[in-house]
Parts: sequence; structure tokens; C-alpha cells
Amino acid sequence: MLSSVRIKEVTGGSHLKRFSVTTSLLYPKEINKKPKINPSSSSLFLLPFPFLYIPSTLFSRLSPNLLGPFSLFSLKPNIFWFLIHRKITRPRRMYVYEENACFDGTKSVAEGDDEGFSQSVAPPPTNNSFEDSTNMRVSMEDASATMEIELHQQLAFDMDQQCYNSNNDGNDSNQVFSYEMQEMGFNHHQQQQEDPLLLQQHQAEMQNAHQNFSAAYPPTPDLLNLFHLPRCTPSSLLPNSSISFTNPDSSATAASGILYDPLFHLNLPPQPPVFRELFQSLPHGYNLPASRVGSLFGGGMDEREASGGGYGDGDDHRQFDNGVLKFTRDMACIGKGREGKGTKSFATEKQRREHLNDKYNALRSLVPNPTKSDRASVVGDAIEYIRELLRTVNELKLLVEKKRCGRERSKRHKTEDESTGDVKSSSSIKPEPDQSYNESLRSSWLQRKSKDTEVDVRIIDDEVTIKLVQRKKINCLLFVSKILDELQLDLHHVAGGHVGDYYSFLFNTKIYEGSSVYASAIANKLIEVVDRQYAAIPIPIPIPPTSSF
Amino acid sequence: MEYADCAPDGSCVSEGAGSGKGRMRMRGQEREYKSKNLQAERRRRQKLSDRLLALRALVPIITNMNKATIIEDAITYIKELQKNVKDLSDQLLEMEASSEEEAKQRSETIDAAEEMNKCGIEEDVEVTNIDGNKFWLKIVIQKKRSSFTKLVEAMNFLGFEFTDTSVTTSKGAILITACVEGIYGETFAAAETRELLQEIIKGI
Repeated sequence: MLSSVRIKEVTGGSHLKRFSVTTSLLYPKEINKKPKINPSSSSLFLLPFPFLYIPSTLFSRLSPNLLGPFSLFSLKPNIFWFLIHRKITRPRRMYVYEENACFDGTKSVAEGDDEGFSQSVAPPPTNNSFEDSTNMRVSMEDASATMEIELHQQLAFDMDQQCYNSNNDGNDSNQVFSYEMQEMGFNHHQQQQEDPLLLQQHQAEMQNAHQNFSAAYPPTPDLLNLFHLPRCTPSSLLPNSSISFTNPDSSATAASGILYDPLFHLNLPPQPPVFRELFQSLPHGYNLPASRVGSLFGGGMDEREASGGGYGDGDDHRQFDNGVLKFTRDMACIGKGREGKGTKSFATEKQRREHLNDKYNALRSLVPNPTKSDRASVVGDAIEYIRELLRTVNELKLLVEKKRCGRERSKRHKTEDESTGDVKSSSSIKPEPDQSYNESLRSSWLQRKSKDTEVDVRIIDDEVTIKLVQRKKINCLLFVSKILDELQLDLHHVAGGHVGDYYSFLFNTKIYEGSSVYASAIANKLIEVVDRQYAAIPIPIPIPPTSSF
Repeated sequence: MEYADCAPDGSCVSEGAGSGKGRMRMRGQEREYKSKNLQAERRRRQKLSDRLLALRALVPIITNMNKATIIEDAITYIKELQKNVKDLSDQLLEMEASSEEEAKQRSETIDAAEEMNKCGIEEDVEVTNIDGNKFWLKIVIQKKRSSFTKLVEAMNFLGFEFTDTSVTTSKGAILITACVEGIYGETFAAAETRELLQEIIKGI
């Protein structure tokens, strides 16, 4: 029922708190906690409508079919609201309460769709708005639901009474809702049917494209109108459709950037004119002039792009915008995920792609054996390489530790001999340091591939197993044995020979006592020498002796 | 998730999980190809994001959860690990330089000879001719440090190449079973080869 979310608080240098989600959604468990009424919470009730968006937004968030921007649109107002509130009073709990109140509506739906949400949240979202919404969402869930029930009931109840008066979208909403229900497995929290209705309406408008859902849900009033975005937008589910929010002439860089705008503007503090702008067909008779909203969004877009564009309108409603500007910028930072490194705003999507490709190439260049050059295999190679590096580090630490103990031991031994001349007494001291480091069995394994050679080195305690496969016809048994001698490896067993096109050898060796070779050294040296042999075929290059590697 | 992937790519796929194929089918035969590719593309994206998730799980220091930063963090982490490896290996080399563990190695050779004598294993060389230039050898020698290497070196010098080799060590003796081929085209008689090898072994 509850999936966990890890929220990492990331501060970007402002007083606003931001969170990043690391796992799937954690549903607030303390549903039954007694809600504490924060005196500042009274302001909550001034804005019933934005909170209604939240259930629908969350609902939409949960469903993969839902439009991202829309959910953001819904979420944002709450978040923004919280932040504004925070500025004034800094009540952290307030933050929580409000969100819980909104979230409660989608609780039932959320449970059923943890999968979907986690899927949408956990993978690194390329969509900035996506992350933003998840941040919002996280902050919402993070709060314990103290006020949740109360607020929810009050707000939902208010909403319901108002919503029932609005138009009913009928089949669309039913279909959408039933579809959602099927996806979510919604079948509990009967008392919260009001909220699903809200969501339903909400979704119905936004998911016109979904037509194949059986209408299994009883007809509900068209609550969607309450949350209705400017009429120009609702039909599309694609993030690109959110462009309709903005002015056509606004430079829409990333679709994700646009997503901020509706939310941004919806987050305006509870003032009726604002809501009138944002919610077109609210039962209270609010009307949103599309052009106005468009200009709002356009202004927001410019702001976010840090192009220096402010709100061109001299509208008195812009007052909010100024206060909100900072928020948007911060949200943009969150969305792009570069708070710690400063915002890198891309002028074009192409630049963003190039930047990402550069990073992939850098990762590929770090890995020793890059095979394919597509993204998935680069990441796969990186994963293997990190594991190998961790093994090597552990091995080296162990060796250093052994060396240190051995040296101390021999020193002690020496002093014992000199002082007493009795070896036996000193030997009794020996077992102690031996036990301290002998308990950890040294084991490491790595593979190295070069163009014609493949080396696999496995070390368990003091036995080294080396597998060598060469593709060319040169018999390098001699050279390999030489190297093994240099590396102070005692050959115990060799097997191999000419197999088809390859020379394949398996060496079982033992490390001489006191030598501290480690796996990667062996592998690297082997590959190096063998490749050198290939490079200079007729002349065997004398291998420079090394005491130990 | 695919939705999120789609968005920045610009090639947005608007269908949800279940609706895509259905809708495609409705529109006609030609759309099926698009939906097949859709599934493949979805799988590709799923694979990439699964791997990115695994990468994120490995890296301890993560700042943000989007694709770009996880790769950045992974790069940073790999560099750090490489630096650690280098430092540790340098440290080890330093310690190596000042260690005095040589004495222990000498004792092994003495033991080997004693063991061999105890078990009654004798040094032995057998050579059998297989088909012209090829010989099959069986050599039993006393185990000494790098004796195999010396043997192979000597054989190479003489013009023999080990085609198939099997070496085992037991009770202080090394048993070498090998197919050897003369690479210079000369034909050796088995007896000659045997004597040659015995001389070599004495020299090792």
C-alpha cells in the first residue's frame, strides 16, 4: 500500500526548501494522527480550489497516461502556496499540512498505483517539470497527515458541493476514470469518493485521447471544469501541448520548461483575480481569459529561461508575479537539477543533448574496455568497472594491511631474536597479528580485454588463476611464463594450447610468500607484454625485470 | 517513464501502456510496424533506465536524480576510485621496497628435492614422435623456481614450439606433458630429441 520514498533535501542557497525524490512514493502513514491546527492554516481555507487540483494532480501523476504538465499544473499551486506561506511565517508543518490535505484525496488512487508512480519518479527524469512535480509530491508525502483528514474533508466537501453544479463531461470522464481505476486498482476508501470524482473530472478533460475505456464508473459531475486550464490547452496530453499555455512567440526551448508556467501561475497566492485567471469555469463564476493566461505563461517562460524577460504586462495581477519570480527560478533550478553546480540553462535542446552526449563519452573514455558505443552498454561497462575498482581497492587495502602487520611482525621478531635469541618465544606473539589480518580472505577478480587478448585474473587468498586467450598465432607461452616469474608467481599448473584460431592458456599459480601483487597489476602487465609481442613479432623484447609489482 | 524520456527528445509518444497497440490496430495494417518499433524502443529505453538505476545504486554520492547528473556523479566517483587505487598501489610499492621477506623463498627448493626423493619420483624424459615434426613429450623434473620458464625458453631456442601443454606440480616435481612442433622444418629423431632434452634439464 505504501511505497517508500526517500527525500533528499537539497538546498540551493535560498530559504526555500527543495527535495529530490529518490524512490517511489511514501504514503503518509500517520493518517490517524491528530491534526494540529496551525494558526496559519486558516489561510488554507481561503483557497479550496488549488487544493482540489492536488488530488487530481497526484492522480494524474500516478497514471502514466496523465499529462505531465497538467499534474504539475495542479501540484504547483499547492507548492507555491506553501512556499509563499513559508516566507511569511516559516511554519514547516504548514507545508506539510496543506499538502496532506490535498493529497488525501488521491490517497486511494495512489495506493493502487505505487508502481506507476515509482516508475515515473525513480528513473532519472529527463523532464524538468517531471522532477519538479516529484519534488512537489515528495514534499507532500513527506508530511505526516495530521491535518490531512480534517482539511481534506472540509475542502473536499466544499469542492463537491460546488463541483456537482458544474457540467458533467459524462462519458469521457467516466471512461477516463474507469481506466484510471483499472490501472490504480482503486477499491478502497469509500468515503473519499469525492476526491476521485474530482480527479476523474480532471482527468477526463486532460485525456481526451484515451477513448478505449469502458465506462464502469457511475456518472460524476464534471469537476474538471473547476481545474480547467485555459481552454486552449486541455486536449493534449503531450508535454508539447503545454506550449499552448504560452505565447506562440515565446521562445519555447524545452517543453519541460513550459510546464513550470502553468503551475507557477497557479501558485499565486489566494486572490480571487488570480484564480479567475487560472480557472476558467469554476462554479463561482471565475473566468480565465486565455490570452491573459497565455501571456502569464509566456512571461513565466522568459523568466525561467533567465533570458531576462520579465512580465511585460502592466497588469496589477503581476504583483504576484514579482513575488513569485524567485520561486520560479528556484523551481527551474530544481527541475534542471543543477543547484549544486549553478544553473546551466541551455539555449537550445540541441545543446542539452550535446552536453549529455559529452558526458556519455567521458564515461566511456574512463572505462578500460569499452565495447559497444551505445548508451546502455556504456552504462553497463561503467557499472562493471566501478565494481572492479571497488574490488581492487579492497584488495589493495588488505595487502597494505598485511604488509604493515608483516613488517611489524618481522620487526618484533628481529628485536626478539636480538634480545633473547629465542625464536620460540617470539613465535608465540606471531599468531596474534596473523589472526588479525588472516581472517579476511583476499579475493579479487577482474578481466581485461585488448584487441587480441583477453585476460581473466582471479585471486583467492594466495592462489592466482589466470586465463589467457589470444587471437593471433604467436605462441607467447614463454613470455607469459617469464612475466609470471617476475611477478613472483609460482606456476603450479598450466594447461592450454592451440585451439582453433586462438591460443588459450590457463595458469594456476601461487603467490610467493611476502610478495604483494594484486590482480589488476597482473592483468595489466600481462596484457601489456602480450600486446607488445604482437607489435614486434620477430624480435622478442626482453622483459625488464621487476622485483614485484 | 517513457513519457518522460520522450519529452525532451521531441518525439513524443502519447499512448499509454495499454492503449498504444489498440489504437494502432484500429488505424490499419501499416501502423503495426510502428507499434512493433514502439515496443522495441520502449524496451531499449527501459534497458537504459534500468542500467542507470543500477549505476545510481552503486555510486554513493548523488546530487540529483536526472540522467545527466547521475552520469556526472558516476564519472566523479570512478575518478575518485581510480585515484584511490593509484594511491594504494604506490603505498604498496613503497612498502615493498623496504620489505625483507626474501629469506622465506629460499627454503622451498630444498623441500622439493627432499619430497621427490621421498616419493621415489625420478627425473625422466620421454619423447615420442608423432607424424614428422611433431613430438609428444613427457618430462618429470624437480620443481625449482622458474624451471618451467627455462625449459620453455630452451625449447624455443632449439626451434620447438609448444602446441599443447599441460603442466602439473605434485610432491616437489613438475610433470610436463606437451605436444611440441619443430618450427624450423627440421626433422628430429625421437632419440636425439630425448638426449637433447636431458641435457637441457640438467642445465636447468
